[in-house]
This record gives sequence, structure tokens and C-alpha cells, in this order.
Amino acid sequence: MPLVMTDAVVLHAFDYLESSRIIRLATRDAGLQSVLARGARSSSRRFGLGLDLFASGVAQIQLRPGRELQQLDGFDLTSSRDPIARDLERFAAASALAELALRFADGDEPGDLYATLIAALDAVAAAPGDRARDVGLAAAWHLVAGFGFAPVLTRCCRCELLLADEDTATFSHGAGGCACRACAPLLPRGRPLPPEARAALRAWTTGTVGTDWPVIETAMRRAHLRLLREFLEQHLNDGRPLRAFETWERGLGTLGAAIG
Amino acid sequence: MSVIDELAGELSKLPGIGRKTALRLTYHLLKQPRERSIRLARALETLAERVHPCQTCFNPTEDAECAICRDPRRDAAVLCAVEEAADIGAIERAGEFRGRYHVLGGRISPLDGVGPEDLTVSELERRVAGGAVTEVIVATNPSVEGEATALYLQQVLAPHVARVTRIARGLPVGGDLEYADGITIAQALSARREMP
Repeated sequence: MPLVMTDAVVLHAFDYLESSRIIRLATRDAGLQSVLARGARSSSRRFGLGLDLFASGVAQIQLRPGRELQQLDGFDLTSSRDPIARDLERFAAASALAELALRFADGDEPGDLYATLIAALDAVAAAPGDRARDVGLAAAWHLVAGFGFAPVLTRCCRCELLLADEDTATFSHGAGGCACRACAPLLPRGRPLPPEARAALRAWTTGTVGTDWPVIETAMRRAHLRLLREFLEQHLNDGRPLRAFETWERGLGTLGAAIG
Repeated sequence: MSVIDELAGELSKLPGIGRKTALRLTYHLLKQPRERSIRLARALETLAERVHPCQTCFNPTEDAECAICRDPRRDAAVLCAVEEAADIGAIERAGEFRGRYHVLGGRISPLDGVGPEDLTVSELERRVAGGAVTEVIVATNPSVEGEATALYLQQVLAPHVARVTRIARGLPVGGDLEYADGITIAQALSARREMP
């Protein structure tokens, strides 16, 4: 049974039996892994206090081929990403990113996907409170592009005609991107995408994660979240709800007024 | 399906009980005197029939209100919000808290599809809005989800109550500083207090 030591980030954790936890990890070397952390709830001796959502560390995993649940021997924390828990927008965005990673990535994803995920979570953790939603949105598109689902934005996805930057294009989820005026009526279900929204999408899906991502107006944020949700539903296509994404889209930070 | 399979199936639905353990428990019960199994069955039946959440704090009780909510010696002005009813037992064992409780029924967890509307947050808000409560101590677990739930409660309750406080995090009693991890020491330092 090989012991693998690899960089990892906690994407999901839930209690198991009296004192253990099952953790879903994204790792640099072993893709997504479900691991059993024995005694993680009752004692911090073995895993420290690091086995919490969105924390990064070096995981020691006993990897048995063919098993769905591996054993976690240790987890040396390198970053707890505390700021995520100090802001509800950051928390909701990071949860949605974790959900995307869990749903899109399979067990054999390469290390650069891990790097993209880490960069996305770091960007959300570092985002100022009033920009947490923008940065989360950008990070989500960046992650989707990292999974290989980047939409086509500069050329028509059907005839490959170069689209002028100042033109409103039609975004078709089914076709995987923007279409020119001539092709738009031939594609399934489209939404008009104004030039500034297309520019933002281009910035988010290309290059590196950065704080120079464009700031989005409140009304545009809603439209962007809807566009992303529809795009995800189209490409995930497994009928399972995106629960964390729904919570994020509803706006966790503003729900207090709604339920009171 | 045999009776044995039926019971094992029901037992395996309990948290932490897998199929093998469920079968082991079933065969263990078969070896016990008949009266013991009947007592267990009656206890389960009584539990299901009589126990329900307290109408005020959601702590499980056989009456309309739990013993803590009925106790006139408990301070009704101070509430302690906990994730689960089991957390009340842990706090009560410490013997320090003389206020009353509110059981949230979990913590906000977008990944598990649990939002504030799935918890008893609006009931807590109504309870506090009555004006008799002066402090709410938020005693959710010190995890990312527990902290986010605490933050949410703070935002919802702040307009209604003078103080919303959070239980402290830091070094355990009897622990050794040399062996404490970085996060614990950092939190203990940030939550330091003046010595009386």
C-alpha cells in the first residue's frame, strides 16, 4: 500500500462514526480523493486543526488502488484560508468553487488543475468584502476554463468568423460560446451578451488569476451568475442540483432580511 | 425480505452503522433474552411517540417546553445558540452557564444544501425580538461552517439584541504551549484578555 505525500486542499468534510471524518480532497498528485481521517473530531494530535473546509496542506494518504475511500495518515497545514469564514460572500463563493471542483474534476486530473483551484480559492480569500462576489464569479469562470470548458468568445463558435469587440454577440450554452448574427438563429437557446460582459468573460477565462479582473455592476452580476449557472447545467448534464452554487446565487449575505 | 434483513436494514440507516455492524447487532439481539429486545422496542416506540422539540428552544423534550426553559432559576436574558441538542449536554457538564439555549438544528453548509432557512434562525430571531434577551452567545463549532453560521447569526440578531458574543477559541486547559499548533496559538493570542 503506497504512502503518497501530496499537496491537497479540503473541499468537503463530514462526520463519520463517533470521532472520525470523511474528507474530500483535491490533490496535486492524485486528483480528487475521498479519505477517512480516523479520530479527527476527538483529537487534534494526528491532523492538527487543519482538516477544515478550504484549508491547504501536505496530505499523507495510504492509496489503495480500486478503493473509493482511502486512509488519511496525516495533514500538515500550510494555509487555513481563515478570511473565507469571516465573510459570508467569500464563504458562499468558496463553497461554490469547491462544488464545481467536486463535480467537474474526475480522479485523475493533472496538477495544473490543482494549481488553478488553489489560485481561485486564494483570490476569493483575499477579496475585499465588497468585491467578493465579483472575484468569486471570475474565479468560477477561471476554474470552468481550467476544466476545459472555456466558452468560445472571440470567434463565432459555428462559422469561426472573428467577432468585433464592440458587438453584442449571442451566447449559446449548447453550442459552447458566442455566435455571429448570421449563425445565432441556427443555434439552440441563446442569450445576448453585451460587449462589456464578453470582455469580462474573456478576462476571467484566460490568463492567470488576478486582482485586475473587471469590476461588475450589481445588475450585471446577477446576469453573469445566471449565465454561469445555465452554462454549468448544460455541460454537467447529470440532473443533480448545484446546491452550493444556488446558495451563492441567492446571496447568502442578504438572506437575513428575507427569512426574518 | 426476512425479519432479520428488515431489522438490519433499519439499523444500517443509523449514523455510523454499516451493513456488517447492523447484522452483528441484529444477531446480538437474537441471542439476548426476549424481554430485553421487547424493552428496547418499547423504548424506541416511546421515544418516537413522546419526544419532540421544545416549542421555545428546540431541545428534545416530552413536554411542551424542555426542563431548562421551564426552570425559573435559569437566566432568560442570556441565550446560548448551539448547532445540535447534544451540544447542550457538553455545555451543561461544564456547569458554568446559567442561561437558556436555542438549538439551531445544524449549521449553514452550502455544499450540503443547508441554508439559514433550514435552521431555526427565524425562530431565534423572533425569540430575541421580544426584547427580554440581552445577550446571545453563539456556540457553533469552531469550523469554517460554524464560523460562517455565527457570522450570519450576528448579522440577523444584531438589530434586536444588545450583545451577540462568540465563544472563545484558544489553548485547552491542561495543554502545553510547546505542543500547541500555530492556529491555536494565533487564536489564543488574538482572543487574549486583560488579567483581572
